[in-house]
Amino acid sequence: MVLTEDTTKSASVTPSLTSTSCGIRGKLNKVVLAYSGGLDTSVIVPWLRENYGCEVICFTADVGQGNGETDGLEAKAKASGASQLFIKDLKEEFVRDFVFPCLRAGAVYERKYLLGTSMARPVIAKAMVDVAKEVGADAVSHGCTGKGNDQVRFELTFFALDPKLAVVAPWREWDIRGREDAVEYAKKHHVPVPVTKKSIYSRDRNLWHISHEGDILENPENEPKKDMYVMTVDPEDAPDTPEYLEIGIEAGIPVSHNGERLSPANLLAALNEVGGRHGIGRIDMVENRLVGMKSRGVYETPGGTILTTAVRELESLTLDRETMQLKDTLAIKYAELVYAGRWFDPLRESLDAFMEKVSATTTGSVILKLFKGSVNVTSRKSPFSLYREDISSFEEGSGIYNQADAAGFIRLYGLPMRVRAMQQHNL
Amino acid sequence: MGFPLSPQVSSSTCSFLSGAPLLHSPPSLRLAAAPNLFSILAVPKMVLAEDTTKSASVTPSLTSSSGLRGKLNKVVLAYSGGLDTSVIVPWLRENYGCEVICFTADVGQGNGETDGLEAKAKASGASQLFIKDLKEEFVRDFVFPCLRAGAVYERKYLLGTSMARPVIAKAMVDVAKEVGADAVSHGCTGKGNDQVRFELTFFALDPKLIVVAPWREWDIRGREDAVEYAKKHHVPVPVSKKSIYSRDRNLWHISHEGDILENPENEPKKDIYVMTEDPEEAPDTPEYLEIGIEAGIPVSYNGKRLSPANLLAALNEVGGRHGIGRIDMVENRLVGMKSRGVYETPGGTILTTAVRELESLTLDRETMQLKDTLAIKYAELVYAGRWFDPLRESLDAFMEKVSATTTGSVILKLFKGSVNVTSRKSPFSLYREDISSFEEGSGIYNQADAAGFIRLYGLPMRVRAMQQHNL
Repeated sequence: MVLTEDTTKSASVTPSLTSTSCGIRGKLNKVVLAYSGGLDTSVIVPWLRENYGCEVICFTADVGQGNGETDGLEAKAKASGASQLFIKDLKEEFVRDFVFPCLRAGAVYERKYLLGTSMARPVIAKAMVDVAKEVGADAVSHGCTGKGNDQVRFELTFFALDPKLAVVAPWREWDIRGREDAVEYAKKHHVPVPVTKKSIYSRDRNLWHISHEGDILENPENEPKKDMYVMTVDPEDAPDTPEYLEIGIEAGIPVSHNGERLSPANLLAALNEVGGRHGIGRIDMVENRLVGMKSRGVYETPGGTILTTAVRELESLTLDRETMQLKDTLAIKYAELVYAGRWFDPLRESLDAFMEKVSATTTGSVILKLFKGSVNVTSRKSPFSLYREDISSFEEGSGIYNQADAAGFIRLYGLPMRVRAMQQHNL
Repeated sequence: MGFPLSPQVSSSTCSFLSGAPLLHSPPSLRLAAAPNLFSILAVPKMVLAEDTTKSASVTPSLTSSSGLRGKLNKVVLAYSGGLDTSVIVPWLRENYGCEVICFTADVGQGNGETDGLEAKAKASGASQLFIKDLKEEFVRDFVFPCLRAGAVYERKYLLGTSMARPVIAKAMVDVAKEVGADAVSHGCTGKGNDQVRFELTFFALDPKLIVVAPWREWDIRGREDAVEYAKKHHVPVPVSKKSIYSRDRNLWHISHEGDILENPENEPKKDIYVMTEDPEEAPDTPEYLEIGIEAGIPVSYNGKRLSPANLLAALNEVGGRHGIGRIDMVENRLVGMKSRGVYETPGGTILTTAVRELESLTLDRETMQLKDTLAIKYAELVYAGRWFDPLRESLDAFMEKVSATTTGSVILKLFKGSVNVTSRKSPFSLYREDISSFEEGSGIYNQADAAGFIRLYGLPMRVRAMQQHNL
């Protein structure tokens, strides 16, 4: 099993009995490491080799971080001591298999968080398990701290997909406290230190969103600074003219932008661009982390906010009252599971079966108006719409709705209340 | 309960629950119906009849000065001074031979002129007009609990009309008691939610009252019929031109329905709005404001404590100026169809945002999850007019308890239709910088603990995976 009970060091792997070339903490054969090319993961490579005497295979996923330069990445990984670097473009899989189901479910965590980082970790971790299988690795490793949700998201995915893999979480073990320690360690092990100056904020970015934490944000009384934002224009500087756009949806899944069918990743990228221009999707919140504390973060989810609005608005035509009520109730649970990293939990899969079924007729299109940070619906239509003008209109309309029926309906609907009142009035 | 009623049935319980025994006879024949049936009905009756042809809402009486449909003594009518309710006054007298007492509630409709209202009511044939200012009660006892609960119907509707009907209906029951009325009446159509909201409140507070819903009975089809009826009965026709939209307004919101809105593909016209500025015309400079909250209830605006109604009115003003709170939606009515409506809830949107944002400091994860789950149910109950349902009261007991520490203040930024939080603080905040900070911080959070936590939290998943992998 993956985690030990060494309470003094909380080592994440059982030290091996055998082998002469043990590391300081134990012996592993091959470790697949989630690698970004940044300082942390660059330092983890020599640290793993030193502590577990293992071969390190780096893995980098493109989930739309927007980093761009993957050219020098292999050389950098090897300069750190890795034997290989695998790079996989996971953007389409990320949006199609993770983002869009969440969208269809209407999953939002604690009123506001659109789960950008929560959805990305499982797709990356799953790819790492595939690589581990490919190269015959016996362990996986990540650079998540011991204070956040991401360690949970990675590790629950590892547990679910291959419980035999050992998991190493250096941040929970090592003595490195911060950037200076890391730089010192890197130099000591002849690892090139990345030259890019680290932002004062801790950020995570993918095709769905970017998150910002740290610095002045750590005080919830502070308003974020205007220059922090990356994906969106300040609403005050956004165009003075609103922009209308149309989103086409099939069975609760978005498929087109202004009539043009696009792949999941391309659709999201296009909407990020237009949403970003109009300052759409800025979220400032204090949230409850799974690991127990509250944290304050700012998120930018331009395209995702547009899509979330689009699907919800179309549902107002296609879902009846009780369906919407139950769907929304389950969406809260769905978001909790995704936030907690339980993507591969059959409970999430069961909820998705429900969501797929209730969304079967959520097909049609909506027109949205974007203006200075706001996105609002202006038009919606569906071949499966349950809205009938001849029933709801103030004009006389068809014979489907007979006003006289309301008397009987109210009498029966209100019978429990009447009986209770009679009991209270001794009638 | 024994339909049709036989004359031998004498228990009052049966008569309450079975409805009027005049099952299939048209109104004109009722006066000639069997006296022994009526003797049962002399006992105070349940409110709705089973007359399927006309759906008469009340049991006709034996006595002599009956109206066309029956006899009532005194009816308290929810009166607005508009064409519909002005016509209902003579209609009630003609059809039920009753005295009509009009009741007008001020829940912030913004009508202003209550001066001529009494004269107008009497000119229609009413014997009295009661006017009550219910604004503070409305906001304090109905709006603010909904706000604290986070009750929103179908993602967007902030329940403005749903919360107002019970407070009006409750006041009508009080007036009925005061004047010794045996019946109440309202001008709601048979196609909407409001008839349900009024009548469920009547049922809950005084099940002995008979309810008359003219729209479910009469032959008046629209404005022209109503004007004709008014003239025929020498009732002054209100001169104000009726809007092409059907509207309901109170201190919390205004709703618009009808006309081009009846097609959900149509964008509302710019000139429909009443309470809010067009975001495109709103100020180019954002405005910051501070809301103070105690136990989930808003109490102050920019440091100034205000009564519930005054606080809401002040926020309507500033929110309206910045175009805050426009909602366009297709909703599922309780009576079964979908309808499309546009709402403006400027101050309410600001307050809803304020309370939610403060909760992000004071509620832990599972509390927030369950509160939000129950809020969906709470909103359903309020939307359906079940304000006086003990289930809503029980949910409020929960909401009051979980909100006990939701005290503090938030700063919000208003800009061209948007309201966003920029700052929040609370003496009961569960946020601790020394724990969540990226800096080393206190010893309260030990990163090593996460290993054990994850191992146990993930144990069910591991065991399942082991079973799948035959381990």
